[in-house]
Amino acid sequence: MDKNISSKQILNDMISRHYKEALEAKKSGERVAWATSIVPQELLETMDIKVVYPENHAAVLGARKDAPAFLRNAENNGYSNDLCSYARVNIGYANLKESAAGNIPMPDFIFCCNNICNTVIKWYENLAREMRIPMILIDTPFNHTFDVPGHSVKYIREQFNHAIGQLEQITGKKFDHDRFKEVMKISAETARWWKKATALAAAQPSPFNGFDLFNYMAVIVCMRGKQEGLDLFKLWAEELQGKIDRGEGPWKDQPEKYRVMWDGIACWPHLADTSKILRKNGINLITSTYPDSWTIVYDSDDLDAMARAYSSNYANRNLAYGAGNIVQIVKDFSLDGIIYHSNRSCKLMDFRQYEVQRQVQEQTGVASVIFDGDQTDPGAFSLAQYETRIQALMEMMEQRRNERLSRR
Amino acid sequence: MNRIEKIISALEETANHPAKAVKASMKETGKKAVGCFPYYTPDEIIYAAGLLPVGLWGGQTDIKLADKYLQSFCCSIMRINVEQGMKGMYDFLSAVIIPAYCDTLKCICDNWHVAVPQTYLIPMVYPQHRKIAAGVAYLIDEYKRVQKELETIAGKKITEKDLEDSIALYEDYRETMRHFTAIVSRYSKTLNAKTRHLIIKAAYFMDKRLYAIKIKELMEELKRLPEEKLDGIKVVVTGILAETDALLDAFVQNKIVFVADDLAHESRQFRTSVRSEGTALERLAYRIADHDGCSLLYDEEKKHGQLLIDLVRENHADGVVVCMMKFCNPEEFDYPIYKKELEVAGIPMLYLEIEQKMDSAEQIRTRIQSFAEMIK
Amino acid sequence: MFLGIDIGSSSSKAVIINAQLKILGKAVFNTGAGTQGPEKAVGAAFREAGISGEKIKFSVVTGYGRMTYDKADKQITEITCHARGAAHMIPSARTVIDIGGQDAKVIRLDKDGKVENFVMNEKCAAGTGRFLEVMARILDCSIGNLSSLSENASEEIIISNTCTVFAESEVISQLSSGAKRENVAQGAHKAVAKRVAGLGSRIGLAPDVVMTGGVALNKGVVAALEKETGQKITVVENPQIIGAIGAALYAWETASKLS
Ligand code: SF4
Ligand code: SF4
Repeated sequence: MDKNISSKQILNDMISRHYKEALEAKKSGERVAWATSIVPQELLETMDIKVVYPENHAAVLGARKDAPAFLRNAENNGYSNDLCSYARVNIGYANLKESAAGNIPMPDFIFCCNNICNTVIKWYENLAREMRIPMILIDTPFNHTFDVPGHSVKYIREQFNHAIGQLEQITGKKFDHDRFKEVMKISAETARWWKKATALAAAQPSPFNGFDLFNYMAVIVCMRGKQEGLDLFKLWAEELQGKIDRGEGPWKDQPEKYRVMWDGIACWPHLADTSKILRKNGINLITSTYPDSWTIVYDSDDLDAMARAYSSNYANRNLAYGAGNIVQIVKDFSLDGIIYHSNRSCKLMDFRQYEVQRQVQEQTGVASVIFDGDQTDPGAFSLAQYETRIQALMEMMEQRRNERLSRR
Repeated sequence: MNRIEKIISALEETANHPAKAVKASMKETGKKAVGCFPYYTPDEIIYAAGLLPVGLWGGQTDIKLADKYLQSFCCSIMRINVEQGMKGMYDFLSAVIIPAYCDTLKCICDNWHVAVPQTYLIPMVYPQHRKIAAGVAYLIDEYKRVQKELETIAGKKITEKDLEDSIALYEDYRETMRHFTAIVSRYSKTLNAKTRHLIIKAAYFMDKRLYAIKIKELMEELKRLPEEKLDGIKVVVTGILAETDALLDAFVQNKIVFVADDLAHESRQFRTSVRSEGTALERLAYRIADHDGCSLLYDEEKKHGQLLIDLVRENHADGVVVCMMKFCNPEEFDYPIYKKELEVAGIPMLYLEIEQKMDSAEQIRTRIQSFAEMIK
Repeated sequence: MFLGIDIGSSSSKAVIINAQLKILGKAVFNTGAGTQGPEKAVGAAFREAGISGEKIKFSVVTGYGRMTYDKADKQITEITCHARGAAHMIPSARTVIDIGGQDAKVIRLDKDGKVENFVMNEKCAAGTGRFLEVMARILDCSIGNLSSLSENASEEIIISNTCTVFAESEVISQLSSGAKRENVAQGAHKAVAKRVAGLGSRIGLAPDVVMTGGVALNKGVVAALEKETGQKITVVENPQIIGAIGAALYAWETASKLS
């Protein structure tokens, strides 16, 4: 890697290459899969299958303001506006197949893991049916217990084998177990570096620049099993460490006044507005609940550990875990506040948010606010409401800080 | 009142006053009751423990307390269940079982612990990969875990024989219900849409043994009647459930008869049998594996549409009525697929968005009427 | 002298206080942001105080229209200002309920009257002043008369749709099937109260519960809220100008810190 090129440039380059290569592969007759964001991609990588991630693509279309056409197409086909907008954008895209904001190849099969939600099962079922292509499912039972129970681990592990059988059948190739071990190693290593880099945001001031996190997330979603992904996070960590050593904060023209966490997915169509308002108030977004979902770490060659890891992301665990996790984040990152995105798309995140907010508030006393929005449907968000709530949050944080100072 | 009317009105009374009916059943049988959230809870195991399984499918309560936990875009059936729990309406139950089929139900499990701490919760998770061996094995493990919990509540061990007896009883109930739903078109006045619904619903609040006896009696009596000429419209109804009174009344007024249903609340509960071989828990697990055409169970072939088409054909129905529970994602995802299939098959369809508590059903009434006018 | 301006979606308010925190002038003008409203309210407040603009040392603007009003020295949210104003008027207040035109909010205060936590309605207008406006329009009465209309209610009516658009058609169909206007008015109050009570349950309503904002003048809503929450609700004097009072207090505080 050229030392003069920043990780940000490499990142953008990687993502566009990721999509370009997938399109080319499809043209030259290679098989392409669509997969959910936290699938055991190790299995696909081992088989050397090109994968694209509809959630990431939908986010791209959302951020480039091209989602509405696809949302409309889905609606015209009978999809309720109440469904997850990633699903609606993607289903609309599967029909229209063309976006000025960037294209993806159509899949030969799809690979789904419901550790993020059960919505993806329904969404992928429909894709499989409409395109008449095979579907592979890894079912990770929801952990209403704090930890992943033994019989779930066993069930998930056996599904890995079932999926390998399906993959061999689809591709006509044998699964290479040695290669698998290698991929497992890289994947776990990438996840470790991802964790390491994102944890550097704990420094004061944080070297993170607000919504950067969401940009780098594209790579952990799309390239977790690849050496280039690993290299990128190493470089990013290095850059961040450099900034920390030099005492540099997020912005050149203003200091970091408040440090907050963002709960949930970004509002992609309003990314610029939502981040501008934070910055205007000197609020730096340094972490979030869900990047840690990709900290899929396990010892390679241990399928039980891998099964457990894939079932252990916070969305698939209970409320006690979710609240405890945020309490820990508040401490580790010395947060002043929390912004909860009540995201119309994501019922699994929403319907626990009120209680999580209460428990976190009780245990940490940190200021917080909930606002309504949606990850890709621009209509569910009101800028004026967002602005008022963020400003009120800022005023609460300010007042608490003044109290702390005056007590000293 | 003749005998038929008597049986029917007793069942309607039960369906319309669940709490009263359950308490009466508890008294009559001397059993403790366990609440069963939708869907496919292992009622056979509960029954085998000497407990009374009771269905909890929402109700007519106003939402107030539940706002503490749930946004307004949560399905009404779950908002109401949480509301009723918080109001203490389930306090007389020894436990509730909540199976986490959809994202909403997962959250309800989590919230229940804090929102309704006084009503003991047994959460469950069914496998989505229910047809492969690993899924069946996992489900059996889940059943075993739940069985232990139920044994503690009942204060007794459940033997294999208890389970087998219970399964036999439930198989009898399911078969009886399949017969019952099949004769509706022959007695379309007596068993109009509303009465049919209430009769089926009553099962959730009674001991299944006693309930099955009642239904058999009813069918015996009906056989003595001359068949009623069906002069209305025959439909297959699909969705989670077909409620409120206003909705059902509108069907009755427009002479729309439910000749078959694919409601989660009704036929999906009893259209699939257990297998005959295997241990008791294996037989139960295979019932889930064999059950198809339900939005809550993974099916990459999406047989839901074909199932509806078959129901229409077998029952010579004029169309399909979709009772779409507002904010129900699993059902909303199935809809575009079966809609297309029904269109290709040339089957008329009426789409109604429903909430469990709708005081004004004006718009729905208009739509039902114009559908009836269209078919005629 | 210190000026506080509160620009809501349907009315503008201005308050002038002196360094002893005494109110010298106050005005309410029934047009909101983007119009002449703010100007007129400020002008009227000056007249009442008998002073001119140069006497103002510092001014703070709050409310829905605060972003677009450029004549004030500082802008602060209505959440913070309502809390401040309410705690000033009623020091024992621990909860503030404010039903505004676009937003309903429940604010918890700590023992010093500072904002501890707050919740606001979901994006839609359910449970806000806008809902009442729509209801008043259908009932063909002014928003101010909605309360007295409801006093003559004889029967309980439930408006089950919380979405304003659906509630509108629900109410129209109830009226056309013979429901009395009085009963519908009461039903509308109840519907708002229910939503706000639900909101309150998310952070809990600690006594004393104080209600601010123009809707607090509607006795029907206050009574319905007391019933739904099971709490006594104190309506602060001149509830419409509490946000502006809070803003004026912040103007005074900021100015004294600066000097
Ligand atoms: S946004 Fe939520 S519902 Fe949609 S795919 Fe992601 S986790 Fe599932
Ligand atoms: S399946 Fe639908 S109706 Fe049932 S709990 Fe889930 S969202 Fe609600």
